[in-house]
Amino acid sequence: MLFSTSAANDVTVLRIEGELDAVSVTDIRASLNTIAEGKPARVEVDLSALRLIDSSGVGAIVSLFKAVRAYGGSLTTTGVRGQPLAIFRLLRLDRVLIP
Amino acid sequence: MPGTISFTRMQGCIIVRLEVPGVIQYRDIMLRTLSATCKLIAPGARARSSRASLFSAHLVSAVGEAYNNIALHGYAGREPGTIRMEIEQGSDWIRVVLADTGASFDPAGARLPDLDALPESGLGVFIMRSFVDEVTYVPGPPNVLTLFKRLDEPHEASPNSRRRGPAQRV
Repeated sequence: MLFSTSAANDVTVLRIEGELDAVSVTDIRASLNTIAEGKPARVEVDLSALRLIDSSGVGAIVSLFKAVRAYGGSLTTTGVRGQPLAIFRLLRLDRVLIP
Repeated sequence: MPGTISFTRMQGCIIVRLEVPGVIQYRDIMLRTLSATCKLIAPGARARSSRASLFSAHLVSAVGEAYNNIALHGYAGREPGTIRMEIEQGSDWIRVVLADTGASFDPAGARLPDLDALPESGLGVFIMRSFVDEVTYVPGPPNVLTLFKRLDEPHEASPNSRRRGPAQRV
């Protein structure tokens, strides 16, 4: 799993590639906390290169969503497809995270 | 023996067996083996069918969550044993059997999550049960979890997908 963040004009873009699962999620949690602590008005999570997500990965994204929402910010995901999209639809996250 | 993989063809079915140490780091090996096996289902159909891709996505998701439960919970607090996986692939179906010697946990006992509350945990069993047609569990040792999924009939992921089939032993 690879990830990167960029920020401009009070928008933080988080790009996650590969697999966000029980094996890799520990590598990203600190960065997710850092994003939330910065309180950007908008957070965009680019999942166009995410191949696989499991319940652990979902938990991490939902945790970030709740943290951002708590201070009045917004979080959306982009490029969700394949297996991650199937997971989002089952858990009804597409209604909340996909604009 | 951990780390071994075998391939057998019997009566029109393909059987793949794999055994790995029961730790989370070996999850990827299991799922990639399963994903490759899914491609053997109606190979011509896979090229033209988004349903075949969805079949694979659902089954890999379900088995991944089952694997997580064994590695992270079944073997928690103890010296991990192994996880044995047997994939039986028919013309339009796949049966996956996972066996372990960790703590028993019957997925039928798991509570349904409240999705409206956006839970951050407790979703694994729900995902597993929703994405396959049949789930059976026989506590052990070894604990034996069987997941069955068919390609032919359009399968909309449903939290009620928990019809029970015959128990399988590896």
